[in-house]
Amino acid sequence: MEPLLELQEVQTFIGQFHILQGVSLSVPTGTVVALLGRNGAGKTTTLKSILGLTPPRQGKVILNRREIQHERSYDIAATGIGYVPEHRAIFRDLTVEENLKIAERKKGDLNRKEALIFELFPDLYRLIHLRGNHLSGGQQQMLAIARALVADNQLLLIDEPTEGLAPVLIEQLIEAIRQLSAETTVLLVEQNFIVATHLAESYVIIEEGRSVKHGSMKDLVKDPDTVRRYLEAA
Amino acid sequence: MTKTFQIWRRNRTLWITLAILIFLFGAAIRGMETKDWVITLLRGLSVGAITFLVASGFSLIFGLMDVLNMAHGTFFMIGAYVGWTVFVRPDTFIDILPPVLIAGAGVALVPLWNALLPRLKLGIRAAKVWPWLSLPASGVLLVMALPHYPITKWDPGDFANSPVQNAFEASQGILTLKQPLGFEPGVSPFLVIGGILLGSLLLGLSIAGFSKRGQAGVAAGSGEDVGIPLKASLLSLGLLGLGLLIFLFNDPISGIVVALDRNWLFILAGIVAMLTGVLLGAMMEITLIRPLYERTIYQIMLTLGLSVIGVEFVRAIWGRQEFTMPRPPIFDGTGAGCPAESLADLIQYHCSTISVFGGRVRTYNEVFVPILGVIVLIVVWLLLQRTKLGMIIRAGVQDSDMVEALGINVRRVFTLVFAMGVGLASLGGLIGAPSTGLTTNLGLSLLINVLIALAVGGLTSYPGAALGSLIVGLLQQFIIKYGQLGINLPFLDEPFKPTPPLVPATTVLLMVVILLVMPQGLLGRRE
Repeated sequence: MEPLLELQEVQTFIGQFHILQGVSLSVPTGTVVALLGRNGAGKTTTLKSILGLTPPRQGKVILNRREIQHERSYDIAATGIGYVPEHRAIFRDLTVEENLKIAERKKGDLNRKEALIFELFPDLYRLIHLRGNHLSGGQQQMLAIARALVADNQLLLIDEPTEGLAPVLIEQLIEAIRQLSAETTVLLVEQNFIVATHLAESYVIIEEGRSVKHGSMKDLVKDPDTVRRYLEAA
Repeated sequence: MTKTFQIWRRNRTLWITLAILIFLFGAAIRGMETKDWVITLLRGLSVGAITFLVASGFSLIFGLMDVLNMAHGTFFMIGAYVGWTVFVRPDTFIDILPPVLIAGAGVALVPLWNALLPRLKLGIRAAKVWPWLSLPASGVLLVMALPHYPITKWDPGDFANSPVQNAFEASQGILTLKQPLGFEPGVSPFLVIGGILLGSLLLGLSIAGFSKRGQAGVAAGSGEDVGIPLKASLLSLGLLGLGLLIFLFNDPISGIVVALDRNWLFILAGIVAMLTGVLLGAMMEITLIRPLYERTIYQIMLTLGLSVIGVEFVRAIWGRQEFTMPRPPIFDGTGAGCPAESLADLIQYHCSTISVFGGRVRTYNEVFVPILGVIVLIVVWLLLQRTKLGMIIRAGVQDSDMVEALGINVRRVFTLVFAMGVGLASLGGLIGAPSTGLTTNLGLSLLINVLIALAVGGLTSYPGAALGSLIVGLLQQFIIKYGQLGINLPFLDEPFKPTPPLVPATTVLLMVVILLVMPQGLLGRRE
């Protein structure tokens, strides 16, 4: 199948640190791909490199058969990538409504997506006029995902959505992301292996800035050696 | 119940500090007669309003871009001088317009070059070299052409035509049209204007080239068809046409502007001062600040250097001597019916002073300026709270990367905010000029006040900028007043009179105390 997003030997520096030393992966249209690996392996930097927030120095990022690695972040995002950063980075000084409104790329985006967003996260409707810093952790995470849904995005980059959340909330989020993935393509960074197995069809493992293994999630579940070697705490 | 308690606990230090400040204020006015403290209060508000006009822009720029713009005070000063020129020497202002507009027409074409250059498919080496060639070429052309354009100007060395004398005449309501200068014999107007136009075109070309350099090789491969930017081309043509029009009909236009009602002229001066600030700010952000976003120390050195250059630049044009700025006539009435006893009197006679509790309050400085400060406060606040741009600014203050990841061109917002902030400072310069007068060290003394106000109020907080400016203004004026009245201290025989040098010292002292108790300032966010 034609991949929606493809990374070819991407290398990224942050300052003088060589963070990504060769990441290749491909995300087929309509699937959920989990990006796995230990802390500090370069998963977040991979997402940021796709978006141009940490522009790659070498290699190619191809979205819809178009090379985007040299473009500015806002142009890349405007081609239809929604980004849900780690640590629930919503805008604290903006209300829930403003947090959603700011993500509009065309006038009326929010009006068209309202129904979908509040169906997935009914809590947000109740909190619409509350400021971001008054939300609980789970609510902030929901808002961060909802924000990525406002514009018409063909690809969602979701970074550690369940980090530090209570189990009940995690279940709710898994359900929401699963519903989303029926319509959009998702590249998901997830530390929690169980969560990843629930959501993703395939995986890519990154270790020390390199993509070392990829395949289908079903095979990975049956392969405890790989899981132990790359994913469990050293 | 618990919620009120929580709000109290979260902001305990703030409430206590505010209570202490209000107590101090109450104590300060107890030692004075009513008329004295009312006038001092109004003066404090006036100084606070001027400080706020500069502080608000400074804090917006710092909050959004982490740039400490040490040249902000200099733009305040430049605004005052530019506004003065429009108000006192409108003929000079009209003379300056054509070369400025024509040069602007050339630079305005940058978006067109940005669209056209990729189609030329220059080699990498050529793309690297030609901005460096066209920049000095444009410099040479502009330096050769601009001095030959005749501008009827004051002369600081000749008393009869010095800014001091010009300002005096204007304050008497005499605006005379000076004999306009023509082109020097043997200098062709076509050559001069053509030189300016060509020079600015080359400047625009090199700007376009430099901005492309950062993303080398982008254009080569993509082969995308970028449409011709129609707006920029039309803007450029419009500027060129307007410039030529003013050039051709200089004398009649000067006549009209000189005969203009002086109140309208003051408003025009305000608009021009602000626009100058906006343009200078935008140019500064695009050409000088943008390459240095990651390097804080370089920015501070650069903006400090610019402030020194700005002062020398103003000295070269307007001279070193101090001079005054007349008030607009609507706030300058004297004679019958003045000082005004009531609002009706004020409206009828346009008095320059109002009688309050037996004391005299100056209408412009102590009534108009604070009101204007409040208007600007509200307008900018509405812009921040109620518009999409404001939303982007507030979001960008926290996390500009995330704003960009939503598909918003944050760089453009940076330029806009920088331009807006500098524009507010320049407007403040003109507004303050009738009370401060015009001196080249205006900027530095104000900048120090602004930094103190922001440290007190909270560096990146907009309400904090307002509160800090207010506190600094009030404190200064009350100390000045007590310098005249003296403070009766129980352990001293004679009243203690704070000397003028103590005025800045007290604000610094206040800052030290507040920073010790609340390191983030009164309304700043705790990190």
